[in-house]
Amino acid sequence: MRIAWAIAINDLKQRLRDRSAYIVGLVAPLGLAVVFGFVLAPAQNFEVDAKIGVVDLDRGPVAELFVEGTLAQQPNVELVRIDSVDAAMALVDTEVTPFSADEDIAHAVIVIPAGFSDDVQSDRPVVMEVIANETSDVEAGMAVAMTQGFASEMSSVRVAVATVEEVMQQPVDRLATGAEVLITESPAAVVDVTASTKQLAPVTYAAAGMAVFFVFFTVQFGVTSILQERHDGTLARLLVAPIPKWVILAGKSISAFVVGVVSVAVLVVATTFLLDAEWGPVVGVGALIVAAVVAAMGIVALVGSFAKTAEQAGGLATMLGVVLGFLGGTFFDVSQAGGWLADARFVAPHAWFLRGLADLSAGDAAVVVVPVLAMLAFGLVTGAIGMVMLRKGLRP
Amino acid sequence: MKALAIARINLIRHFKDPGIVFQTFLLPVLIVVLLGATSGAGTAQVGFVADQSDSLIAELRAALAASDTFDLAEYGTADEAVRAVERGELQGALIVPGGYEATLRGGGNVTLEFVGRTDEQIGGVGTIVDSVVKQQATLLRAARFAEDRGLATFQTALETAEGMQSTLPPVQVEVSMAGEPWKLAELGRFDLWSQNMLVLFMFLTTLQGASAIVASRRLGVTQRMLSTPTTARTVIVGEGTSRLVVALIQGAFVLLGTWLVFDVSWGDPLTALIIVVAFAAVASGAAMLLGALAKSDQQAGSIALAGGLVLAALGGAMYPLAVMELLSDTVYRVAHVTPHAWALEAFEELTAFGGGLVDVAPFLGVLALYALVFYALAVWRLKAVMRRTAHG
Repeated sequence: MRIAWAIAINDLKQRLRDRSAYIVGLVAPLGLAVVFGFVLAPAQNFEVDAKIGVVDLDRGPVAELFVEGTLAQQPNVELVRIDSVDAAMALVDTEVTPFSADEDIAHAVIVIPAGFSDDVQSDRPVVMEVIANETSDVEAGMAVAMTQGFASEMSSVRVAVATVEEVMQQPVDRLATGAEVLITESPAAVVDVTASTKQLAPVTYAAAGMAVFFVFFTVQFGVTSILQERHDGTLARLLVAPIPKWVILAGKSISAFVVGVVSVAVLVVATTFLLDAEWGPVVGVGALIVAAVVAAMGIVALVGSFAKTAEQAGGLATMLGVVLGFLGGTFFDVSQAGGWLADARFVAPHAWFLRGLADLSAGDAAVVVVPVLAMLAFGLVTGAIGMVMLRKGLRP
Repeated sequence: MKALAIARINLIRHFKDPGIVFQTFLLPVLIVVLLGATSGAGTAQVGFVADQSDSLIAELRAALAASDTFDLAEYGTADEAVRAVERGELQGALIVPGGYEATLRGGGNVTLEFVGRTDEQIGGVGTIVDSVVKQQATLLRAARFAEDRGLATFQTALETAEGMQSTLPPVQVEVSMAGEPWKLAELGRFDLWSQNMLVLFMFLTTLQGASAIVASRRLGVTQRMLSTPTTARTVIVGEGTSRLVVALIQGAFVLLGTWLVFDVSWGDPLTALIIVVAFAAVASGAAMLLGALAKSDQQAGSIALAGGLVLAALGGAMYPLAVMELLSDTVYRVAHVTPHAWALEAFEELTAFGGGLVDVAPFLGVLALYALVFYALAVWRLKAVMRRTAHG
């Protein structure tokens, strides 16, 4: 075992001198995480401001309730009161740039028909109208939602007032009764408890994705250095020394493992301070990192056992690393894809790493057990096959 | 002619590497498939958790399932649904408390819980879920109102309300569209990703060729070539040609492949090809420059991988440029430091806005400038390096 350490330490020293190792292990993932943080930030803080026109052809009490009591009270809505439908159309029927709000445009226009207030208090059909700008579908969606909300409120009030009249068998002051209905608490209400959940922030996801993506490249040298040593002739010297073959493999594995874990750990620390990434409790994150490194080493060993030269091994491992990385969602979150893709991603250890991290942010360290086992299994199976074949191939 | 021979040998070496062949031809198309499939499944998933299936819950479920904004997915327990939201598998989840109908009919109030994604950008599913629940509460509130006034029992009032609702027409909202749809929203699901991946991989693969340039230098191949009656200029032209051809082959392949397989629209084909040529010039220039500056082929390889991905991410080849433009002026401007953004602008003009050669000319001009600067710097550095090598 002492010899294994000696081999490992020698390899590590070489790594420390190799500038390209720093680029792949640290600069690239950190650079990408920083860029993603920079690019994603605006979407996180973006607020949609809708400019909504309203044409009140009714001017009755119910219309006023809608315009002044509902629309004018909305945050993020700039309300423009317009006199005629023609003038409103000129504002909304125009080509706009998404999320822009120039002087002479409206994202949507709401038309309250003449006789609206009276009709709502009758049993006649009532139709409100929303004209939405096609480009401004988000802002227009807000206008539609507010109008539909009010319409369903009015439907509800109509039913309530009619029910009262029905059971009392006499007409009531519909406007006054309706106002009372409006302040009656709805028996079923939805509360948004999103804040109580714990979700990975996009920047954490990006940082984690890059860390696990690049670790598949960082650990490559463990195998490629064997092939390189064969090429350089140093392997022959190692083999004639009284060292069992497995010790050589162990030494190479130790150094690859150390470099893998250290590079991800440095990334965790760096992204925590630079990008405010929140990785979660140390124990859980540590277990995930170790398992991910093992998985990466396993696949590299397997691929490397097929290769004849270091370049070939590097090329094949990179190819697999990229495919598994994309599939596993390191660059683009594929979890909402649904169907076969959402399941297929778990072929990649990357997906397990990201899943483990997401669960970890919400639960205690125990939730990482399954992802860790999945990655370890992946690494040990591929690694065992790879090691056996590498050992066979370990000759000058 | 000698330059062409050098280029030919380089190309043969380049395409002998199965990894490179894979990355040149298969990977971009594979990723377009992956991302196209992801964006194709555009409808959000909303989880629905309800203990028992009483009639009110069945109605609620039916009303939610009728929404075309999201698909409803049943979950057994609240924990599972919340976890799915936390994992990002669901856009939101509605949790209906146990004894929903019994509580309501018994005169009590119930609170339904909704969890959504914190990173949900714009146009939430929460509002829709809320309005569906409110709609259902219409009858309940009418019944509750009558009951509170002592006019009838809840049950009687509810039955009356149901009768009233069936005779009264609901207040309706008619939605009509005006203006023009956003041009970029009209692109097919594979279109944008094809443009992005074309630009990403053309640059990345070509840049990775820099390690071959460094290897030739380090192995003394360049030196030997220079010892024959071959000028540095010829060697540089040969190297440059091979990098350019690699970029062109990949660009043309992705262009043609995505058009044939996914029916991706590239606008006017000749103009699209010219953009590919211009970007190939930029990418090969960058590869030459890196080949001149890098100290070892490993170093060139890792800088190429890191640089190729970082520039793509910054330049809008991963996160759409058009979205950057909408959300942040700063990000959009920084993106244009990269040649990627200019190439993508050109493709956008060509495909979404139906532009032609004249419309994309400004973008082509910027790309040409990039290529010129890269090549000029590369030739200057390479000549210096080769002079040293030749004498050393």
